[in-house]
Amino acid sequence: MSHHENQDLKWYEKLSHKIEDKMQFLVWIFVAALIGGLIEIPPFFLMGEVKGPVSITPYNALELAGRDVYQQEGCFYCHTQMIRPFKWETDRWDRNREYGPEPYSKAYEYVYEHPFLWGSKRTGPDLWHENSLNNNASWQKQHLINPQETSPGSIMPAYDFLFNTPVDIEQTKANMNALRKIGVPYTDEDIAKADQLLQGKTQGDALVAYLLKLGRDTKQK
Amino acid sequence: MSTKTIDYDNQIVRWWVISGIVWGLAAMLIGVIIAFQMVYPALNFGPFLTFGRMRPVHTNGIIFGFTLSLIFASMYYAFPRLLKTEIFSKTLSRVHFWLYQLTIVGAVLTLLAGKTQSKEYQELEWPLDLLIVVWWVIMAINFFGTIWKRQEKRLYVSIWFFSAMIIGVAMLYIVNMMAIPAGLWKSYSIYSGITDANIQWWYGHNAVAFVLTYPIIAMMYFYLPKHTRLPIFSHRISIVHFWGLIFIYMWAGPHHLLYSAVPNWLQTLGMLFSLMLIAPSWGGMLNGFMTLTQAKEKLRTDATLKFMLVAITFYGMSTFEGPMLAIRSVNVISHNTDWTIGHVHGGGLGWVAGMCFAAIYYLVPRLWNTKLYSEKLAELHFWVATIGILLYIVSMWVSGVTEGLMWRAVDETGALMYPNWVEIVQQLAPFRLIRAIGGTLFLGGALIMVYNVVMTIKNAGAGFEYVDLREGIKAA
Repeated sequence: MSHHENQDLKWYEKLSHKIEDKMQFLVWIFVAALIGGLIEIPPFFLMGEVKGPVSITPYNALELAGRDVYQQEGCFYCHTQMIRPFKWETDRWDRNREYGPEPYSKAYEYVYEHPFLWGSKRTGPDLWHENSLNNNASWQKQHLINPQETSPGSIMPAYDFLFNTPVDIEQTKANMNALRKIGVPYTDEDIAKADQLLQGKTQGDALVAYLLKLGRDTKQK
Repeated sequence: MSTKTIDYDNQIVRWWVISGIVWGLAAMLIGVIIAFQMVYPALNFGPFLTFGRMRPVHTNGIIFGFTLSLIFASMYYAFPRLLKTEIFSKTLSRVHFWLYQLTIVGAVLTLLAGKTQSKEYQELEWPLDLLIVVWWVIMAINFFGTIWKRQEKRLYVSIWFFSAMIIGVAMLYIVNMMAIPAGLWKSYSIYSGITDANIQWWYGHNAVAFVLTYPIIAMMYFYLPKHTRLPIFSHRISIVHFWGLIFIYMWAGPHHLLYSAVPNWLQTLGMLFSLMLIAPSWGGMLNGFMTLTQAKEKLRTDATLKFMLVAITFYGMSTFEGPMLAIRSVNVISHNTDWTIGHVHGGGLGWVAGMCFAAIYYLVPRLWNTKLYSEKLAELHFWVATIGILLYIVSMWVSGVTEGLMWRAVDETGALMYPNWVEIVQQLAPFRLIRAIGGTLFLGGALIMVYNVVMTIKNAGAGFEYVDLREGIKAA
């Protein structure tokens, strides 16, 4: 605003004036903003599939329906699914010593996670090894219905209504089909089995099945 | 400068101001409710009013309802004035406004119904994502068209920052929204696992940059000199820190993923660039402060200026705290804790909302051609809000450090001291209650502002009178 005579201009002012004239600055903003992402993101597509010591199976129809409920209720706003490589975290979430010498979360464990549900806030405990920690379906159900009864002092909301809401079978099949298109190896048989697995099930039942799937494949003994 | 009069189209600015106030109040109220839910779980009313469904309404409502409305208000106000020409198309301005409102209403309804892509700050399902793309393009045409037909050759720095938002958000949003639909309100991210996490936080962190930082800096550079009638301290700093921010911010996202399963090289890059961000961030903060301190003894303060001051102060604090939290050894304690929430709200309540309130107090009397109903009430709003912010962030610091330390505490045998999670949760309850009270104060301050604005608008047309804040200078 202050300088209008050309002879006063510093080099950086001349440069910015030059790219203002025909709005080239918009292109330069795009380029400057693009570089970070160009360096950080494409390598993930180039490094190929992440391999691990055990194979991960995709969620079956009931577990997937449960994962959809987990998304629907925003569980990941309070529960993480990412155990960091610290002794105090692995002591807490591998207390039964079932996940080998390096019992923290590793990249291969998440290959079928569309989207990832690591969360960013650990108001409640991490759930990535839930199968190992609390493999009791009726406790899980009771806890979802009335968290304060099973865990006095908990601040978790009650999810009793999930046990009155039936799972949408057709939607779950459509979901499996969609996931198959983006690389989750569902067979026609897997999808056909949805009818049988989901028959008469509630969203709450599905959520319990999902929670008990977490950490089941990655146990190493 | 041409002598023909420009139709500034204040009507569209008025609409955006009202939109910002309405969505701001709604989103703040939801924030207060979910803050109390974290102390009193009985306040959850399933299925629609549980914490998990209301939290994204709060975050999206504040970022895209409140803040973006006031950013657009500022853009529709500043562009014609800085470029000495009318906005490209009045029709597009209105199409932009109403499609935006449709999006926000759709967002509230679908999020409460549990329709979500589960990516933070990009929860909206694909039909709403597509709607956003449509009006974002319309909005871009409208503003870039205005720059194209401008009558002022030189672009003021605010135009640069606003333009960066338009371009950057478009790039981030389109990459992160890629999903495969499985029905009208259900889709899955096409990316999985670590790739999805990487892309999400590239987006998430830069939503903070391109929505909650650059346009707010643009507002600072616009309102501060306008209001104080002082030139900005350094155009050179503004140019240098502009390019610094645009370039460096985009690398910093992986600090959200420290010690996670993403590769180490990515974490290290994220940490390094986060540290580097201090320089361009503080460049902007110092430029704002120096603009004022050049003449501070000659300036009177009013509520608008006070809110700008508190905004710049919290900007400086948050942009120091952020890089610190991005250092691995600090992140060990702070990650996933309430400290992060405190950090976000130092920036959110102090910087973003502070600047938005300053904009409201600046714009309302001018747009409705009248005097502000009560400077005293604005002052009261300022103090109530500031105390609210302090209660909020201090309680979250204490709570966050407490839980971070309790998670890792071991006794002399090396066993966890607090294996029972609920024990930790109960320790945090008093701090979370103080946080909720701080939030309530902040909302109370906003309600005082709404009363002030309503009373001001009731007196519309009474004549706006510019008060020069510089001591000893008669009003122009």
